[in-house]
Amino acid sequence: MINFAKQNLKKTKIWKSIFRHDFTDTPRTRLQRVFGNVFLHLHPVRIPKDAIRIVYTWGLGGISFYLFLVLVVTGILLMFYYRPTTIHAYQDIKDLAYAVTLGRLLRNMHRWAAHLMVVTVILHMVRVFLTGAYKPPREYNWVVGVLMLVMTLFLSYTGYLLPWDQLALWAVTVGAQMAANTPVVGNEGPFRLPFITPGNDAKFFLVGGTIISDNALLRFYVLHCIAVPFIFSIFLCVHLWRVRKDTFSRQTGEKVDVWPHLVSREFLAALWVTVVLFVWSIALQAPLEELANINVTPNPSKAPWYFVGLQELLVYFDPWIAGVALPGLIIFGLMCIPYVDLNPKGVGSYPRMQWSRAGPIPLWTPVERPFAVNVFMFGIVLWFVLIFIGYYCRGPNWEWYWPWEEWSHRRISKLTLKNLPNLWGGLLLASYFLQGVPIPNTIKQRLASRGGPQAPAIASRLFHGGLGLVMAVALLVPLITAPDPDYPARSRYPTLFAALGHAKNAPVVMGLYNLIERLGPAWGLPVLSGLIGVGGLIVGGMGMKFARFKDRMYEELGLIKYAMVMGLFLLMMGVLGKIVLRLLFGVKYLISMPAFNFNI
Amino acid sequence: MQANLEARFGRRQFLLKAGWAFFYLFLGGWLLSNIRFLFPNVLYEPSLTFKAGKPEEYPLGVSEKWKKAQRAWIIRTSEGFYCLWARCTHLGCTPNWFEAEGRFKCPCHGSNFNPPGDVLAGPAPKPLWRCAIRLTEDGQLLIDKGRLENRPGLREKGEFFLPMKA
Repeated sequence: MINFAKQNLKKTKIWKSIFRHDFTDTPRTRLQRVFGNVFLHLHPVRIPKDAIRIVYTWGLGGISFYLFLVLVVTGILLMFYYRPTTIHAYQDIKDLAYAVTLGRLLRNMHRWAAHLMVVTVILHMVRVFLTGAYKPPREYNWVVGVLMLVMTLFLSYTGYLLPWDQLALWAVTVGAQMAANTPVVGNEGPFRLPFITPGNDAKFFLVGGTIISDNALLRFYVLHCIAVPFIFSIFLCVHLWRVRKDTFSRQTGEKVDVWPHLVSREFLAALWVTVVLFVWSIALQAPLEELANINVTPNPSKAPWYFVGLQELLVYFDPWIAGVALPGLIIFGLMCIPYVDLNPKGVGSYPRMQWSRAGPIPLWTPVERPFAVNVFMFGIVLWFVLIFIGYYCRGPNWEWYWPWEEWSHRRISKLTLKNLPNLWGGLLLASYFLQGVPIPNTIKQRLASRGGPQAPAIASRLFHGGLGLVMAVALLVPLITAPDPDYPARSRYPTLFAALGHAKNAPVVMGLYNLIERLGPAWGLPVLSGLIGVGGLIVGGMGMKFARFKDRMYEELGLIKYAMVMGLFLLMMGVLGKIVLRLLFGVKYLISMPAFNFNI
Repeated sequence: MQANLEARFGRRQFLLKAGWAFFYLFLGGWLLSNIRFLFPNVLYEPSLTFKAGKPEEYPLGVSEKWKKAQRAWIIRTSEGFYCLWARCTHLGCTPNWFEAEGRFKCPCHGSNFNPPGDVLAGPAPKPLWRCAIRLTEDGQLLIDKGRLENRPGLREKGEFFLPMKA
């Protein structure tokens, strides 16, 4: 009976007008299913077998796309019950949770799908990097992908303002204040133009007012629901289309039909994600804090996990560096990768790893492109270390608490931070970045012809060792000898050494201070100069270890690409260095020019 | 040769190119001018001034009386009054007052300030802002959060400090 109906149904004119081919599994219909379907024809008809292995792609790009679709659908539904005004927004979210049938589930799904999408997009980027899939001919698509990562984060950011709870308000206050700290066009940024005021600066442009209120909420609503998804969709089309048109970084032999081999995998991935999302959204409620109140900030006030790394970064640098310059450089650096990585190896498979040793330290390094993989993964790990610190090691007043320590709002912790004098700090910065200067072959040859075959090696040793010593001197000499400019107004101790030696947040300086106190000046000063010498030589030695690699890289990349790679690499390591200076030495700024709002 | 030059740079070509140039100039100018569209001309924001009651109501020290309603601390020293805007100079969160340590501490990135407003620790680059403060005719304190100063030397005088012996 049913069979009969089915047979006749397929003979009707309506059916035939909708489905232009039959569904028997023949090579012909397999092709027709793909190019006869507007949704599927973004796929090629046949695809290399290697490119669709699950353990190769993990389906991360496709899952991200599916999550975007989930977010669009749940988002459209949520919009039916949401009004973007400060009077209504919070109550509407409450209503969604308590008064609207299935509203809570939809909101949970929207929130958790957004979190999951951030995860899958980041993992997708790491996967593409590790398998070298950004290499020619796919450089441009990597750039598009990086911009889509930025948009994913921006969508998350504009999205969590909408509930108008405390998390929303303070995240947006901080974000908008970063705009106010933009160099040149921000009212509180360095080198502000003379006509910039709170009434016309970058923050005003972003939030549509001088305070975060109705205008800001409406703007973020429009950005979140219309503007950014619109631009994102355009980029998405380009991204997907270019995957197909650019062909694969590595051409493999055997090809298979996209229907059913790829389409079935995509369907299974979507199914799997749907199940996970449902279980997650039923089990865990999307957070909603108290109603937004500009006069009270929750203590501590933490961003969602994907921005906690940025929040933690803001602790160590001025807002214009941590909030504007560094994120900009990270995005720029990511986009540069395919254009500065000229190594054709490592495409189409994950890096093969091997054990090697650097001195006594065992290292797990990739065989084929060790520098690229190590530096990229170091950056990713650094970012997640910052997230870990921000999430688990920060308590009330954003003070350091170990994860196992109990938080206390009454803990007495007299934190103290001091600036290095500008000239010393500038010397430290300059000698750090000079470590990146290579010694080109032409200069090596000239040195060898003048001073014998040993001359280039000796010059390199003098150069790196000397810079290392200068760095150690520029850091420790002022810390030990400089007077404290805050004494006696804000500081009880006349020197930086004594002030930081009594602070609990500068363990290295405290250790040195106690050492000198115990040894007395007669023994203490020689010991200190010995420490400076040893520290400097260790830093210089590290620079020397990379000297030959550095010179080779310079010869291979040429000046401009080398400057970009080395500059970005030194900046990344410099961020780590500044974090160490802050956490272990109690140093606030290396260079401080408050008159220009310029501090490093 | 002559004909070629005429075809490339002649009057017809000049008019054509000038026409297109003006069209694109207009289009580009109009698109750019829409940036101005995003700067609102009229704002509906709360007033930045408020009356904070009689000076006699304030004992020596930091008063948190107006923090929840007006986001400001009124501080009385033996010399007189000043008012700190409770907005961290780092990224604009509202710090909390800790009497035991004599510090304002910000919950967002951990900046510490002392009662005069100077930075003691954390990432804040500048001292807390002081608001203009004066007495009204009916003998109340009038705070203006629209007029701010944080430079040592300037913030302790003029409209930012109200002398009154305790």
